Amino acid sequence: MGLRKAAFAALIAAGAGSLLFDLTLGLRLPSDADWAEAAGALRAQAAAGDAVQIWPAWAERARLFVDAAPVLAEEDPLAADYLGVKRLWVLSLPRTPFYRSPEGALRARGATPAADQRFGALLLRAWDLHAAPIAADLTASREMHEVDYVARACAPVAIGGRLAVRGAAGRVLHLRAGVIGERAYGAGKPPVEVQAFADGVSLGTLEVPATVRDGTGWRRLDAQVPGGPAEREFAFAVSSTDRSRPFCLQAWTTR
Amino acid sequence: MTGKGLARGLGFATAAAMALTQSSVGFVRDEGYYFTAAQGYEAWLRLLLHAPLQAIAETERYWSYNFEHPGLTKLLFAASHLVFTTWLGILPDALAWRLPAFAFAGLLSYWLCLLGLSRSRACGVLAPLLFWCAERTFFHGHLACFDIPICAMWAGVGVAWLRRSGPRLALTYGVALAVKHNAWFLPPVLLVHALLLPREQRAFALRRLPWLLLSPLVLFAAWPLLWHHPLRHLGAWISFHTRHVHYAWWYFGQVLRAPPFPIEYPVVVDALALPLPLVILLGAAGISLLLHFARLRPDPQRLLELGLAGAALLPFLLRTTPIFGGIKHWLAFVALLTPEAASLLVRAAPSARALVVAAVLTLLPGLWQIAHVHPYGTSAYGELAGDIPGAATLGMQRQYWSNDVTGVLPWLNAHCPQGARVYFHEVNVESYQTYVRMGMLRADIHYAPGPEQADYAALQWHREFRDREPQTWNAFGTRRPATGLYLDEVPQIVVYARPGLPGAPEGGR
Repeated sequence: MGLRKAAFAALIAAGAGSLLFDLTLGLRLPSDADWAEAAGALRAQAAAGDAVQIWPAWAERARLFVDAAPVLAEEDPLAADYLGVKRLWVLSLPRTPFYRSPEGALRARGATPAADQRFGALLLRAWDLHAAPIAADLTASREMHEVDYVARACAPVAIGGRLAVRGAAGRVLHLRAGVIGERAYGAGKPPVEVQAFADGVSLGTLEVPATVRDGTGWRRLDAQVPGGPAEREFAFAVSSTDRSRPFCLQAWTTR
Repeated sequence: MTGKGLARGLGFATAAAMALTQSSVGFVRDEGYYFTAAQGYEAWLRLLLHAPLQAIAETERYWSYNFEHPGLTKLLFAASHLVFTTWLGILPDALAWRLPAFAFAGLLSYWLCLLGLSRSRACGVLAPLLFWCAERTFFHGHLACFDIPICAMWAGVGVAWLRRSGPRLALTYGVALAVKHNAWFLPPVLLVHALLLPREQRAFALRRLPWLLLSPLVLFAAWPLLWHHPLRHLGAWISFHTRHVHYAWWYFGQVLRAPPFPIEYPVVVDALALPLPLVILLGAAGISLLLHFARLRPDPQRLLELGLAGAALLPFLLRTTPIFGGIKHWLAFVALLTPEAASLLVRAAPSARALVVAAVLTLLPGLWQIAHVHPYGTSAYGELAGDIPGAATLGMQRQYWSNDVTGVLPWLNAHCPQGARVYFHEVNVESYQTYVRMGMLRADIHYAPGPEQADYAALQWHREFRDREPQTWNAFGTRRPATGLYLDEVPQIVVYARPGLPGAPEGGR
């Protein structure tokens, strides 16, 4: 009898609790007016060099409203490069189920926040990234390509090809690269190598193996640029025994 | 009302509910193929009526398309269209093609009710309700596909095994065999069930098993492709499914592309996609049936329900069977647990009034899910997943089969200039043609093979197709969508327009 009573109570609780959760879900989500207000605030406050990071990264409805700064959907705020971004506006939906704040990741990378601004169910907060100043955006791609499920401003380079570009040397060369789209996951495919040179001197080699686990496909190399002239001829040679995959790289130098 | 009358009533009510709510349900990718197949088979049926010998001689010409699935359901789709649309002109094309699927949905309710009635009248009512009061199952009930038909036949074979004569069993299993290859797994279940029965029932059950040897006659009769070179076509059918491709599927933030898949995958997806009270009841039902199995003299029906539910799930626990398609490939697992789930619900309630309260509270979250999400059934998630936004955060498959595109068709019809080219992404040509045929999409809107050749793009949000969005940005020179279908904020379909075209946003980056 006790078990029966407990089972009945559990069923009632599960049903009522589920219904309550469902019926209140809308209260935890932003309305069009919330989005419009947040977009208006960004229009008033955003400046050149700002970008908007949506959070969770799936909250891309923001793209319908936000027109004052580029909208980014990076999935790892700690590892993301945020190239050229001085101030990052994090536009988030903190009341959604399983929400995890990006605050810890941003603080871990040295970013500092400004005050919160709330627009209904939306939270807007600006973060100063304290990023090292860019000496040269060597690839400066206007095209976007998806690598490891994030849209990236990278330059497609055919495997077997070479990209040469002249730019300010800075102190550190940053190289990122990966295979575009689903072909990154070709099991058994040989790795792709990117050799980086400055005025013919090797700065290092970035190996891009076939991606096994999501989130590991955008590979990175950060290499010191040896002293010398203020401008250098940088070259990136891309090679692999399998040349069939579309490949993309991004490179810049920082002071 | 007699028990059978009640079951029939629930069956008809189910079919009617599907017919009344089908018009908004988009044409899933597979329906596009089956509609095309049905048109070919209808042409064959007309030939059969006018020149039977020629039709029999030319089966391969008409039936080779979609050789990978048996003929019965597609033949029914074709016959329904021939009668109700071509001859009588009383039903639109899609409704006529889907009508037989509604009949199978009704049969499923009928058989679940019968299985429930063996426990109590309340169980007879609750078993089909528990199955259908979830958007995922409700959605699948509308489609001219095989998932609900084979689920229905799974239950039907169970009922026939328990209650029917040998010939009826042979016929029912034959129909199952002629619906989908899942039926290959049923004879071993029945054999094991027979062997586990008490001695006096075992001999009787084993004597009925040979009737199944007649069932392939139904497969043969309902699939004219087999009338010439049957071994070759049977070989192609079997080979297709034993070497089936693995489609990418997003699961807890990782795209699963190839075996081995997580062993718990089908159970976890059920738990996340279905309403929580149903999940709890189904879980309890599974445990209850397992405990019952451990008894010395298990009840034959409960033993069979356990076997049938387990057999529907088992292939997907092997870690090598393709896992795409949400929960649709193991719907019979859910269905065969519902009679016991209903029984547990009835037994837990201390009074009739309390049962009504408990039943309402158990079913309401599922009804809310249907009211809130329908017709976008492949996107539905339950409370354990945090509904659709929670599932997006967890990294679960957002949708599949492209039918969510119906959410943006009115916008495209309203904004596209005459002759506009639209990249429909995952919507195949066959489904696109059906949208046009049904008047859901303007006939002058053309199907573009890629964003580069398009004026507009309707992108389906799939993890494995994330490259299409930047590809569209590059082609269109804008990163601002024009509109989209967002369910509880979560992107499903995102529409882009080339700047300057009607509906395109002004400015933006």
